[in-house]
Amino acid sequence: MTSAAVVVCTWRGVRGEIPEETEAALTLGRKVSSALGADLHWLVVGTAPEADAEIAARQGVAALERIEDAKLAGGQADAFVEAMAQYCAQRSPRLLLFNQTFDTRLVAARLAGRLGSGAVMNGVDVEAEAGGRLRVTAAAYGGDTRVVYELAGEKSCIVALLANAVVPQPVEGAASSPTRSDVAVDLSGVEERIRVLEPARAEGLRLEDAEIIVAGGRGLSSPENYKLVEQLAEALGGMAGASRPLVDDGWVDSSRQVGLTGKITRPGLYIAAGISGASQHMAGCAAAKTIAAINTDPDAAIFRYARYGIVGDCLEILPELIRAAKQGR
Amino acid sequence: MRIVVCAKQVLDPDAVNNYALAGRLVIGEDGKTLTQTTIPQLMNAYDEQALEAALRLRDAGADCRIAVVSAGTDPTTLLRHAAALGADEIAAISLPSSGQDYHVIAALLAAYIRSSGGADLVLCGRQASDDDQGVVPALIGEALGMPVVTVARSVERAGSSDRPAVRVTRVTPDGDEIVEAACPALVTISNELGEPRYPTAARKLAARRMKPTIVSPDELSLRPEDLEPRALLTRQYVPTVQGHCEFVPGNTPAELADRLVGLLREDKLLQ
Ligand SMILES: Cc1cc2nc3c(=O)[nH]c(=O)nc-3n(C[C@H](O)[C@H](O)[C@H](O)COP(=O)(O)OP(=O)(O)OC[C@H]3O[C@@H](n4cnc5c(N)ncnc54)[C@H](O)[C@@H]3O)c2cc1C
Repeated sequence: MTSAAVVVCTWRGVRGEIPEETEAALTLGRKVSSALGADLHWLVVGTAPEADAEIAARQGVAALERIEDAKLAGGQADAFVEAMAQYCAQRSPRLLLFNQTFDTRLVAARLAGRLGSGAVMNGVDVEAEAGGRLRVTAAAYGGDTRVVYELAGEKSCIVALLANAVVPQPVEGAASSPTRSDVAVDLSGVEERIRVLEPARAEGLRLEDAEIIVAGGRGLSSPENYKLVEQLAEALGGMAGASRPLVDDGWVDSSRQVGLTGKITRPGLYIAAGISGASQHMAGCAAAKTIAAINTDPDAAIFRYARYGIVGDCLEILPELIRAAKQGR
Repeated sequence: MRIVVCAKQVLDPDAVNNYALAGRLVIGEDGKTLTQTTIPQLMNAYDEQALEAALRLRDAGADCRIAVVSAGTDPTTLLRHAAALGADEIAAISLPSSGQDYHVIAALLAAYIRSSGGADLVLCGRQASDDDQGVVPALIGEALGMPVVTVARSVERAGSSDRPAVRVTRVTPDGDEIVEAACPALVTISNELGEPRYPTAARKLAARRMKPTIVSPDELSLRPEDLEPRALLTRQYVPTVQGHCEFVPGNTPAELADRLVGLLREDKLLQ
């Protein structure tokens, strides 16, 4: 194929994992590449995940590309931006698709500045028009609205895809047999300008991986009551989360925050106690399979998303839920 | 040192949430703008916290001038508020008639910073609460060749007087990270910084007399390509939310809790 490629770009997080959302980005990338009549490439920066060949094949990837350099090991932005910029200079892709994470949000945006190309974060869909023009749908106002951006210009466009926005689907028909290649970059000139004095210490399980989350909001009315949320989470074998005001007020650590600017979760069960259901909160839990909500206000937004609702005082209901959860086991 | 804070005027996000919940968010005839005139305009909360971060540096003894700049339509109220909070300079950049996107806005802000005496530190909010993009700070950083440190809960002075630096605590998904960068640097501020201060009545009064410097794009010696939008907003719509909530019946908290746990067990969501 002759058109410039659509490239899904991933790298391992600080914990060494490849984002699970990679397959979602590959599925979206495949849709766009076939609309453009272009190839789908998967660029892995740093160590490749073990199952990369199978994932690539079932997602219809034409070429698996890899950039490896000692300077990328620290996971710092300057090296990544430079590596990606050199990649783009060599290969001129049409579209670079990232899974949106804390790190890619910075690298993708800086890369757009470096290349002088259009970039959109919070992407939920990308469409290619007949003429090759790309339209990106993104979430705005925390999810209250959707906006559509048209990406102009000839340069490589950049889109960061929100977690849970696309359902990964394997290619219909025969799997592809992707070629493999290493992309050489020269990072000898890169001196990281930001020095890490104390790294973040990832502790224990991640909210993103929890099957059951019990989250509390301002309806808990005082910090001591958050322990009810923790106790129910424990009784259910899940994890405790929170809305932003609880983090702002110092009741809980920011690693507990669910939402647009916190964790994007996708548990089987999300129990929301005393949470109003603002769009910015729902951005982090709307993908839960089932939401159960406890709120004194029957008109609270959370009930628009919930499968089950209890209209009532969470300070009365939570202790009973803890009891009921312990009983039946 | 000179600190430049970039600030954007946005629609009050809480009011937008309430309108959305009530099903009353209306997109205007252009198909892309929220038109409720009853929704108040505010300084983006993260930007206000960026200004607060600057003021705290000054409180901590930094000898600094703080400039607040905004690119957009009529940011006078926003800039007065910034002045009342303690900004030494306020500037409004008018938008080019050729249309704008983040790239154009970032080019304007970067050019303003460059042409107005530069900055040792640029502070921005982590994102704007209307489009949530958070791209502009990174673009400014690239344009000015500054390191970009994102999502800070605190910014402190570090280094020495001849080699100033900032020490920043970042709120990462894996907990706090402490980093240091030499100035000039750009830092984006998150809500974890804490509540911004309120202006005193006297300062509010004094701020009314402060006139913003009005900067037009023509004065900023930009290249034509800097003023070319690359990600044009073409449409905005309100997505539908599928409500299908089953309210659990019951008279006592115990009854409600037993029923809910029962339902969740039936659905195999609980053991
Ligand atoms: C740019 C931006 C980013 C944001 N990011 C996030 C984010 O990542 N995560 C996040 O959570 N928020 C975020 N927010 C904030 C968000 O908009 C809401 O303000 C926040 O989620 C509200 O938290 P809450 O539901 O706990 O509090 P409130 O909105 O105050 O709701 C409290 C709820 O508790 C109910 N209640 C009161 N008493 C009781 C009781 N005794 N029993 C049961 N229910 C009771 C009330 O009816 C109400 O519905 C963001 C906002 C902006 C502008």
